[in-house]
Order: sequence, then C-alpha cells, then structure tokens
Amino acid sequence: MRERKSSLWKRLWEQRYLQLFALLGVAFILVFYYTPMSGLLMAFKKYKIQTGYAGIFTAPWVGLKWFAEFVTDYNFNELLRNTLGISVLKMLFTFPVPLLLAVILSETRNKAVKRLVQTASYLPYFISWVVVAGFCLQFFTTQEGVVNKVIVALGGEPRFFLSSPDYFWGLVIGTGIWKEMGWWAIIFLAAITGVDPSLYEAAMIDGAGRIRRIRHITLPSIAPTVTVVLILAIGNLLGGGLGGSTFEQCYLLGNTANRAASDIFQTYSFRIGLSEGRYSYATAIGMIQSVVSVILVFSTNAVSKSTTGHGLF
Amino acid sequence: MTSIRNHIRRTREDVVVDTTIYLLLAIVFFLCAYPFWYGLVLSLNDSLDTGRGGMYFWPRVWTLDNYMEFFRDATWLRGFLISVLRTVAGGSITTLFTMLVSYGLSHEKLLFRKAYMAVIIFSMYFSGGLIPYYVLLKNLGLLNTFWVYIIPPSLNTFFIFIAISFFNEIPEALKESAKLDGATEMRIFRSIILPVSLPLVVTILLFSAVGQWNAWFDSAFFISNKALRTMGYLLMETINQANVPSSAVAAAQAAASGKVDPLAVRVTAMMISVIPILMIYPFLQRYFVTGLTIGSVKG
Repeated sequence: MRERKSSLWKRLWEQRYLQLFALLGVAFILVFYYTPMSGLLMAFKKYKIQTGYAGIFTAPWVGLKWFAEFVTDYNFNELLRNTLGISVLKMLFTFPVPLLLAVILSETRNKAVKRLVQTASYLPYFISWVVVAGFCLQFFTTQEGVVNKVIVALGGEPRFFLSSPDYFWGLVIGTGIWKEMGWWAIIFLAAITGVDPSLYEAAMIDGAGRIRRIRHITLPSIAPTVTVVLILAIGNLLGGGLGGSTFEQCYLLGNTANRAASDIFQTYSFRIGLSEGRYSYATAIGMIQSVVSVILVFSTNAVSKSTTGHGLF
Repeated sequence: MTSIRNHIRRTREDVVVDTTIYLLLAIVFFLCAYPFWYGLVLSLNDSLDTGRGGMYFWPRVWTLDNYMEFFRDATWLRGFLISVLRTVAGGSITTLFTMLVSYGLSHEKLLFRKAYMAVIIFSMYFSGGLIPYYVLLKNLGLLNTFWVYIIPPSLNTFFIFIAISFFNEIPEALKESAKLDGATEMRIFRSIILPVSLPLVVTILLFSAVGQWNAWFDSAFFISNKALRTMGYLLMETINQANVPSSAVAAAQAAASGKVDPLAVRVTAMMISVIPILMIYPFLQRYFVTGLTIGSVKG
C-alpha cells in the first residue's frame, strides 16, 4: 500500500510540468466556466449585486418565483414564439444549404471555378455580425438599400425589410445562410473527398448517371458526418444551429420597429439583467435556454446512436 | 476516374446537371462577393457623389478622403488602436496558453487525464449564461479594464481539442529520444514540440486573432469607459444609430454642409474591419481548414 502511494507521488513528480500545464487549464475552466454555473443558483434566490459573488450563496431562497414570473410575463408568449420560431426555421433552412453547396462544389469539373466560388463562399464566415448588420443597412434600407432600389426599378413598392416584423425572420435566416454556408460546406466537402473513388467508377460502369451517383453514393457515404453535424446543430438549436449566433442577429438587427418578431429569450434576458439590473430574474430566463440546450444535445445524441449508430459521445 | 469520364459520352443529364451547377455557383459567388465589393466601391468614392445614387459596380469619383477622415477622427482612431492591441496581445496569449495546456493534456500517461478531460468536455455543453458570468467578471475586477478583452478568451475548449489532436499525431519516438537524452518536459516542449507544431501555432493564432479583431460584445456589455471601446463596438453604435429613421435627416444635413457623411464613415469603418481579414485570407484558408476538420468532427 505504502509503496503504491509513494509511486503515485513519484509519477506525479516525474510529470510535474505536464501536470502544471494541465492544471492551469483546468483551473481556468473551473473559474470561467464552472463558477458561472454555480451562479445559476441566483435564479432561485433574491440576489443583490452589491453582495458580491459570495452573495449568490447567502441570498434568501425564493424557489421558482422568477420562473413563474417569467411564464406569466406579458412578453412571454411573444418571446416564446420568436425564440422557437426563429430556431426551428433556421434549422430547417440553414442545414440543407451547406450540404447542397458541398455536393455542387464536388461535382464541379472546372477546378479553378470550384476554388474561386469556394473561396468566396466562406469569406463571410470571418467577418463579424456587426459588419453583416452594416451590409444589411447597405442592401435593405427602405430609401438607400440596393435591393429596394432594384425593386423600385422593376416597378415594385419599396419594402420595410429592416423595420417591419414581417421580414425579420426571413432576414435572420437569409443572413444566417449567407454567413455560415461556406464554412459548414467545408466539412461536408472534406467528407465527400474521402469517399472511395472506385465506388463511383463501379457505378459509372453500371450506367448510373450524375444524380443517381449523388443519391446512392455521395449522400450515403457522408451520412456519418452529416449526423455528427446535425447533432451539433440541434444541440445549438436555440443558439442558432448552423446559422450562426441568433442572439447577435436579433440584437444587432432588432430595433423598436421589428421587436414583435426580433425579441427572443436571450435579448430579453440581457435587457432585464444588464439594463434594468434584475439579475435573478434574467438568470432564470437564461437558465431555461441552457437547460433546454443540454437536453437537446443528449437526447439527439441518444436517438442518433440508437437509430444510426453514429454519435458524438 | 478522369480517364473513364473522358471515354464516356456526355449524356443529356450531364449537360443539365452541369448547367445547373454553374448557374448556382454563379449565384453563390455573386451573393458572397458582391457585398464586399460594393462596400469597397462606396468607401473609395467621394461621399457627396455617392449621395447622388446610381453607383453599383465601380467608383465614380475616386478618393481616399473617407479613410483619411476615419483616421483623423480621434474616437475611431482610438477604437482602431484598441482593436489592434487586443488582437496582437490576445492572439498571442491565447496561443501560448492553449499550447501549454493542450500539450499537458495530450499525454496518454498523464495522471487524472480522464478527470481533467471530463471537466473540459462538460463545460462545452452547459453554461451558466451571461448574468452569472457578468457577476463573476465584476467580482474578479475585470469589468471596465482592458484585461476583460484578454483574459476570459485566453483559453477555449475548441482550441484545446484542435491542439490535442495535433499533438497526438506527433510521433512518440520523437519525444522519447529526447527524454533518453535527459531533457526535461519544458525542454522537450520548447525545442522539439514547438518547432514541429508551427501549423498548429498559426492555426490557433489566426483563429483567435480574427475573433479578437471582430469582437464587439465584451466592449458593449463589460466596458463602460469610453476610452476602452473597440472599433467593433463603435461600428455597432453607428449601425444602431443608422437603424433609426432620424438618421436619414442627419445624413442629408451632413451632405448639405459638405462634411463627410455618416454613411461614408460607416462603410469605411466596415471596410477597415474587413480589409485585414482579406489580407490574411490566404493564410486563413491554408490553415483553418485542417483546424476545422480536426476540431469539429473529432471533437
């Protein structure tokens, strides 16, 4: 027993630098990721910011008061509708596009064209949502927007793309696709490149055309990758799926004119928490989102594992 | 594969498929590239002339005035410099920290490795949300300091996974040979691991630098001192102002008074935040694809 103990210390001492590096990282994660998790306690308490971080633990309990208040909040129905509506529609529309783009790129015979288009397609990924919002002003404002100028030139009426709730969801989905499709296409394209070429050759000899080769070889071969990406996307459903950060979109493109369609749990939680200083209430709203996300990740992973055999963990 | 293709006659299906593909590619290319091009055109054109409208593909009255105006404006210049500073400092610190931590974690023989990894992996799936995070930063004394730009983003799980997968690919024999020579882990890291990890260093440096350069969120919510505002934040502020109806009037007034109007400055600021990314784009392309495919599919 004693000998085993001393050998443990000896081994630790031998790898002291490695342990030091690893522990530095673990300590950082504990402070910046796990401490805020413990801060979720304030969602069940009446917390005052003046009491410091320790105040979270000493504040009086209020049970589910904040959750009940949120559910009966006069904004709740609108917030729920927007949060779920935007998330689900973004998922439906932004997931297929990168896949389609990857298939199209892989079928492009002219390599120069393929490279040019691919290069352009993931450029938007690297710019910030702030710049994307700036581009939206350039293209969608009622007076100066290029799109409205084209509409007017074609004899139509200018649309209030940025200042009407009717267009907001479309704007979020459209900019989400624009910004992220090229990026996710890279992953699918990498998977397509890995498909054994002899499969295609055999199919060609059997007389299968392009569409049939795509359907029966390309798509089934990359199914595992698609599954993994789908799990990632569903896990991040409320965050924006593959369509980038829904919060940033709603915060930057939302305004008082389109709030009926642009206010979501997160933006509301921000306003309540940081502008109005109602920390406990805002934490409760934020927590709903975290819990739903975690449930989504684990359940999609479980479903995917039992049906297709592929999963993240 | 090509040889077989060459021997097979192009069917009608081929023609239809190819036409559709090139048409779609043209649309994708236009949609992705044109906004950048249009922004450049606007920023390089005289702002009074831009007000006359009708310019879409090429500047009519070339000028660099908009850029001069940007750098003459004390607020923008300061925001620009803060962004440069956080990009350089934040990028290097994140890279160094990530390399060290991941190198430690990448060793199969590391004691408690499983427990460490479990701690890291769980943190990827659950978070405390913004408000507790804000309270934490406040109590760490990071609010309203430059450090809030540097310390919180100095390590993230995505980078750790990219780095660990990379280190795992380095042949064990390389490390063992150094150990036999009596080198310490520190020395092995410095003189063997770092030199062969150049692609990894560049990948993480580029990723984190782009993140730092684009950041606006922390500047908006964790900073109230105007002197510490980043360019991303200032840009967000101008865009928000432009998003309300009254600004059209303000723009018209500015145009009438002969000053560079807010639209021109806004577009120029957008281009100034995009141009550095365009400049390092070839490097981004070379390195991040590997990073992405390792990081997200394996991680």
